[in-house]
Amino acid sequence: MTNGQRQDGTVVALRDVTKLYQQGSLEVQALRGLDLTVRKGEFTALIGPSGSGKTTTLNLIGGLDSPTSGSVRVEGVDLGTLNRKQLSRLRRDRIGFVFQSYNLIPVLTAYENAEMVMWVQGVPVADRRKRVMDLLNAVGLEGLKDRKPTELSGGQQQRVAIARAIASDPAVVLADEPTANVDSETAETLISLMETLNRDRGVTFLFSTHDHRVVERVKRVVRLVDGRVDSDEAR
Amino acid sequence: MAWRNLWRYGRRTVTTIAAMTLALLTLIVWTSFVQGFLRDLETTIVEVEIGDVQVYPPDYRTQPSIFDRIGTPTELVDTLGAMGFEASARLLGGGLAAAGEASAGVSLRGVETEQDARVSVVYDRVAQGSWLDPSDPTGVVIGGRLARTLDVGVGDELVLLGQATDGSIANGLYSVRGILAPFSEATDRGGVFLVRQAFLDFFVLPGGAHQVVVRNAADQPLEASAARIRAAAPGLDVLTWRELFPTLATMIDSVESTMYILFFIVYLAIAILLINATLMAVFERIKELGLLKAVGLSPARVVWLILWEGLFQAALAAAAGLILSVPLLFYFTRVGIDLAALGGQISISGIGMDPYMRGVVNPTIFVGPLSAMFVIVLLSMLYPALKAARIKPVEAMRHQ
Repeated sequence: MTNGQRQDGTVVALRDVTKLYQQGSLEVQALRGLDLTVRKGEFTALIGPSGSGKTTTLNLIGGLDSPTSGSVRVEGVDLGTLNRKQLSRLRRDRIGFVFQSYNLIPVLTAYENAEMVMWVQGVPVADRRKRVMDLLNAVGLEGLKDRKPTELSGGQQQRVAIARAIASDPAVVLADEPTANVDSETAETLISLMETLNRDRGVTFLFSTHDHRVVERVKRVVRLVDGRVDSDEAR
Repeated sequence: MAWRNLWRYGRRTVTTIAAMTLALLTLIVWTSFVQGFLRDLETTIVEVEIGDVQVYPPDYRTQPSIFDRIGTPTELVDTLGAMGFEASARLLGGGLAAAGEASAGVSLRGVETEQDARVSVVYDRVAQGSWLDPSDPTGVVIGGRLARTLDVGVGDELVLLGQATDGSIANGLYSVRGILAPFSEATDRGGVFLVRQAFLDFFVLPGGAHQVVVRNAADQPLEASAARIRAAAPGLDVLTWRELFPTLATMIDSVESTMYILFFIVYLAIAILLINATLMAVFERIKELGLLKAVGLSPARVVWLILWEGLFQAALAAAAGLILSVPLLFYFTRVGIDLAALGGQISISGIGMDPYMRGVVNPTIFVGPLSAMFVIVLLSMLYPALKAARIKPVEAMRHQ
């Protein structure tokens, strides 16, 4: 299975995944036997109504949460078999995150935010500098590298977040509503940027989104309803 | 990142550092004073008059008698000298001093001036006149209050009366060579120092000594030295200054304990302040900490991130505390605090203290408070740091 997954380019594989949340005395079934495979180089969107399980799915793939049952594999590694330290390492080295509210560190500059993952990885300074400058160029922020997040617009902050997400050359970038907090024009620019990164650099993106502009541009749309795959459409 | 995080909440950080600086400064100055006080007290007890260890004829301490003497004190002093101890033999006796119409009971001490200078700095405590001189056998040095009682000054005549060992009335005319500054109540009120030969002549004594005063090297444990001296002086009573002045010994021990209690109280307040400030900072940054963990920062590195913030604050407080302590210590070691202004002569268990309480400066007055501060900072930061390390990224990033 593991070797097979790698050979056919599978990056993410969820099998019969369920997730049960306890909210006070209520049990909420977020996922009900979800099966999903994401292959290398895909540009995929998870869509569906609120509460359909999109964010939960991303959190499980990112190792930020664990399933109640079923298996989540990233590059063939079953996340259920990893301890906290191994999960930290997997997130650091193989997963990129882009969040709706950017989540940049306010005391760090754009440059430092972009290099943060590599700093955590312990990449030498010279290598970091080269890579970060390349990334900031790629996302169009080369002239703003010394600005703090508060000195950047929402769109610029999200570009920094995208640069940070792809800095470690991850297996997959999980982008949770990346265009939700920006205006239409900025959203278009961000989508184009991610599309370019996917096309030119082969970065695998998995979005959770409500944004029709994202949905229109992705190559695959997986619709979730009540914690299951309702439809899976490749374009 | 830890350094920059500190200045996000600048006012809070400055307040915390100011409190730590004040605590450190207080404890450095306090330690300096306590050490100065203990040094002065011990110096007064040990260096001026009593020595570290005293050797007496058997039962002399409970029933003093001019007849009970150490027969061969020179031999004992030489033996102790060969063992590395400075020692001096003294003669002790009682009598009456009179000048004009006034008289007072006195305790007479006969000393070999050159030998005694090796164990006692009493010669250095002469407030008026000068110390004993063997070439002036009729010259005596007396306590300050005794001089006032007898209304005598340097150069005045003094009559001493006593019971000689041959049954006769001992009496002699002496002149006051020096008057001592107060260092012990007994000496101040009735102490009369004579050169050894004058004492022997006065009491018609053939020789011997009533007391051998021994100094112990500072790096040698007192009890171990006392045991060695006991072995060298069989049949004699050997007592350490702690046995001679148990109240003072207990007091010195308790002063040190008091110092540690103050350390504890001051740093407990600092610990509470730090824990509160850091918990607030962690809570306010919960989303960021969640992000750091999401991108793979290990729990251990999160702990270190928070600990570094505490260590930076401690380092700044240490620098500020050390700089501010310089002028304070300069003043308190040079000038000191005049305790006499609070109520005259200061005396503890009959030992007169220098009315100026002065601090001392040595590495230990900094090392104790500084190391305690760093340990307390690390311990106080540990709880918020562990709390930060346990943050679940998925929950933290939902935090508003």
